Amino acid sequence: MVLASTHPSSLRAARRLLELPPAVRRSFWSTASAAAIERKPEIFDLVCVGGGPAGLSLVSALRSDPATKGLKIALVDGQDLTTSRTPGNEGFSNRCSSLTPASLHFLKEIGAWNNVNNIRTQPYHGMEVWDGVSGSKISFDPVDQTPGLLDSLAELVPGSRFAASKRKYETGDPTTVATICENGNLTAALLQQLKESGGVEILDKTKVESINLGPEPENEEALDLSQWPVLTLPNNRQLAARLLVGADGANSPVRQFADIPSHGWDYGQNGVVATLQLDRSFTADEIRTAYQRFLPTGPIALLPLPGNRASLVWSTTAPFATKLKQLSPPDFIAMVNAAFRLLPIDIDFMLTHHESVSPASELAWRETSTNSKSLGLLNTFPRVAEVQEGSVASFPLRMRHADTYTGHRVALIGDAAHTVHPLAGQGLNLGLADSESLVKSIAYGMETGMDIGSCWCLDGYNADRWAKNNAMLGVVDKLQKLYSVGSGPVVWGRSLGLDLVNKMGPLKGALMGAAAGTK
Amino acid sequence: MASTLSAQRTGAALHKLLRLPPPLRQRTFSVLNRPQPNYPGHVPLNFIERGALAIGSAFGSLIDPYRHDLIASLGEATAKPYFVTRLRHAMISHPTGRRILRDKPRITSKSLSLEKLRQLPENTVGRAYAAWLDSEGVTPDTRDPVRYIDDPEEAYVMQRYREIHDFIHAITGLPIIIEGELAVKAFEFANTVLPMTGLSLAAIVRLKPMERKRFFEVYGPWAMANGLKAEEMLNVYWEEELETDADELRARLGIEMPPNLREIRKKLRDQKRAEKIAREGEK
Amino acid sequence: MAPVRPQSFLSLPAPLRRAVASYSLARAAYAPPLANSTSIRAHSTESSPHNGHAGSSVNETEVSHFNTLASSWWDPHGSSRLLHLMNQHRHPFINRCLSTAPPLPPNHKRKYLDIGCGGGIFAESAARLATTQSVTAVDPTPEVIAVAKRHQRTDPLLMEPGRLTYHNIPIEALPLPTTPADGFDIVSLFEVIEHIQQPAPFLRSILQHLKPGGWLIGSTIARTGTSWFTTKFMAEEVLQMVPRGTHEWSQYIQPHELKSWAAKQPDLEGWQTMGVVYVPGFGWKEVDGSESWGNYFFGVRKKSLEE
Repeated sequence: MVLASTHPSSLRAARRLLELPPAVRRSFWSTASAAAIERKPEIFDLVCVGGGPAGLSLVSALRSDPATKGLKIALVDGQDLTTSRTPGNEGFSNRCSSLTPASLHFLKEIGAWNNVNNIRTQPYHGMEVWDGVSGSKISFDPVDQTPGLLDSLAELVPGSRFAASKRKYETGDPTTVATICENGNLTAALLQQLKESGGVEILDKTKVESINLGPEPENEEALDLSQWPVLTLPNNRQLAARLLVGADGANSPVRQFADIPSHGWDYGQNGVVATLQLDRSFTADEIRTAYQRFLPTGPIALLPLPGNRASLVWSTTAPFATKLKQLSPPDFIAMVNAAFRLLPIDIDFMLTHHESVSPASELAWRETSTNSKSLGLLNTFPRVAEVQEGSVASFPLRMRHADTYTGHRVALIGDAAHTVHPLAGQGLNLGLADSESLVKSIAYGMETGMDIGSCWCLDGYNADRWAKNNAMLGVVDKLQKLYSVGSGPVVWGRSLGLDLVNKMGPLKGALMGAAAGTK
Repeated sequence: MASTLSAQRTGAALHKLLRLPPPLRQRTFSVLNRPQPNYPGHVPLNFIERGALAIGSAFGSLIDPYRHDLIASLGEATAKPYFVTRLRHAMISHPTGRRILRDKPRITSKSLSLEKLRQLPENTVGRAYAAWLDSEGVTPDTRDPVRYIDDPEEAYVMQRYREIHDFIHAITGLPIIIEGELAVKAFEFANTVLPMTGLSLAAIVRLKPMERKRFFEVYGPWAMANGLKAEEMLNVYWEEELETDADELRARLGIEMPPNLREIRKKLRDQKRAEKIAREGEK
Repeated sequence: MAPVRPQSFLSLPAPLRRAVASYSLARAAYAPPLANSTSIRAHSTESSPHNGHAGSSVNETEVSHFNTLASSWWDPHGSSRLLHLMNQHRHPFINRCLSTAPPLPPNHKRKYLDIGCGGGIFAESAARLATTQSVTAVDPTPEVIAVAKRHQRTDPLLMEPGRLTYHNIPIEALPLPTTPADGFDIVSLFEVIEHIQQPAPFLRSILQHLKPGGWLIGSTIARTGTSWFTTKFMAEEVLQMVPRGTHEWSQYIQPHELKSWAAKQPDLEGWQTMGVVYVPGFGWKEVDGSESWGNYFFGVRKKSLEE
């Protein structure tokens, strides 16, 4: 009472400002002069910006959880979400993801997986990863269960971590490492799920024009939205969000609004993707394998799709990526076959001199002069026969991690929070895990009467995901750096490492478990 | 009883063998079950044999540097695991080297007509090569075939290295006597990094003090500087350079002409003879 | 604890000396819970010199202390952080208590009375629940009610008429329900009775606000060496997580004292308790048995009319 009466009102306002978290305080300053919000905004419990897999799965999961079902939710995306992004039956989209069993479990739990077109997804059961320089390899083959020294040790020590990790690997779903699914197939399924459950205002083809803090209250008794994010949409529509979720990609406007810095670096590499046809077709119940070869210029991966299709993800230097996109289909096919079979220097030569040499002819004679076994190539490795027209595309590869995933009334998920090199195929899975965790935090907040936009509710999400994602980002980044080395002791060391890992069943189980995202 | 025991032992040994990493497993055969050769004339060796070959040929060639077969064996025994692979990779990455690997040309008296080479204009590479062979009394066929390198392409690289050796003599003008040979070896060592070329420099001990001093002051530094800065000699398609002007090729490859060893030696010899005559005259 | 001898006391380092001294003083000032160790502090008929309001439970020094705390109620990293973290355990405990009694009708919405609501941490959270009809929150400290009302305005849900109402009054000033059915489903007393000088009559008087079948829910701290060490010495002196003077250790109440008080009340039944321990870096954790030496929740039900 004494305190209040001695403070002039301006001083009190300043003090109130200082009580805010620093991030909000900054954005308050930066937006204080922005166009004042004239009309009364519509009030939503949660506004999700971005209708990609992360955002859609978040909203979908919120609708399926009894604790969060009653929330008033809007989802905003600048693109048209209703048009199916998957090509017709003739082909497959070049944007595919490996969904780990953990991601699949989440999607099944929220009921979205039922809507996925299963004819277009492909589980795979083994992973062949090898070093393009030394030929050392690690094969994750569920059929190969030969016990090694460490297995015996693990059995001697009951309850040891090795034993546990092996058990987990064996009891989970040992036959499926991951399931390849077109991103478009997944988003279509999530969207259908949302339409069926209803209750979410989906504002697609709607660009967020600006995000500001809400208006100052009219008087000392009125509702005070001055710390609420308010989105301005076309036609001067305004949405105030109790919790604003940024699922709006690597350049997240929501992250910029919350003034959350994001750190990382560009790899100077591009990911070249394409849909391929193999020289043989597989039936639905055949054991399938994903292949990845680490080249000094970046890893190249071949992921199985139904029938004779496969998805290519080739991370390489930006100039090489540009050249790959310029190649004629026969040359592109020859280059892909060469990239899995020839010496790294052959591949570099062929891409450097692609104007003067024919990739097909180079591949033909170099294959006869290359000891493919010493390069780690499996004789079961399929040959690429064709490339789907118009499916070759590329995107720059980056590592980014936001300093925090949460602010006052703001949470970031998916690529808005982190961008990861595709070599471990984890990008989409991390985004889905973010959604799952954020939904859990929101549900807990609802059960205990928290304001779901407050730090008390969001801290749990940040604590759960940030360190895990940081560890995954770190491992993937180190792998990328480790395998960018073309010769010398690093190559010997990593070959030895891979050979050792390959010999240790339980460690492999643990790695496989980590790759499969089991908890 | 004894036979079952030994069978068990063999079984255990075999099992142990199978648990080795593949590269080691390949190399643990015995003389009785030597694998199939990878190319005509190939002799697959195991670790011990390769080691014995390296040590034996090293001693042998030190005792008698004219045993080129031993020098060749030493070269092959020490070229793996790294050095010949490096040369092969250098060739794969170079358009001309790559073309040589694809064509796999051989330099023999059949593939090269010495008669034609002798007709070429003065100062062409071919003319110099023919003149050099003539003056040293050797032919392109005096080179041993590669036998102990497993990969066929690497074996070819080794073979090619041997066959172009005489071209290096020719464009540097260094004679085949130990002193000249050493200078060429030093040049090749700097250029190819093959250990054998370095090892053969041990023959420096066989030089006379005067020659050794000259090697360290003149030819050694020349060989190192030029070998390092010059293009890979293996990436020169010598068959296509026969009509090229030798100076032009040297300039293109970045090689400076070494001091003419033959002339220096002749000058010295004349000087000594003159001194001797003078001394005898005094008497 | 053995009495501290002067020479060994003087050999202690200064901060410890101060702590030991304040502990000894607390021991000396506190009259041990009478001969009958199971009773709580007897109601003094004379007004205590600290007690300004005759007939009010409010202690004026406590009021002014919470006045100075007011500004930090809603600061996530301020001195109320532990209260915010503890709030997450309050609703599960209430649900646990309710689950021991016959279930309420499915669409029954609860009426809450939060006594000593402070900045509104519990009152706001109760008002947000889907199962809540209304929350009435009272606190005698004007500044904290101002803070609570200001914070209420930042949430449109809480601004819905009748959902959350604050009164800057001592509980004695709140009108009693006209009929028993008009009473509250839940009367909450979180971190309050350790600040009350005469808990027994205070508790008795607030029972009048409970609807038959309703629950009195509260939390407080046991009066033990451990609680003195953690709340007075560690939290106030060493870590300075809460301002000095927040706690008056001698007023802490043992769970068995409360339980036996409840057992003597003819209209109460169904004693529930839950001990929680603060683990730095993790927050509050439920620990079985910790109620007898640290922070604990308690719940007791007012008998239904038909019983």
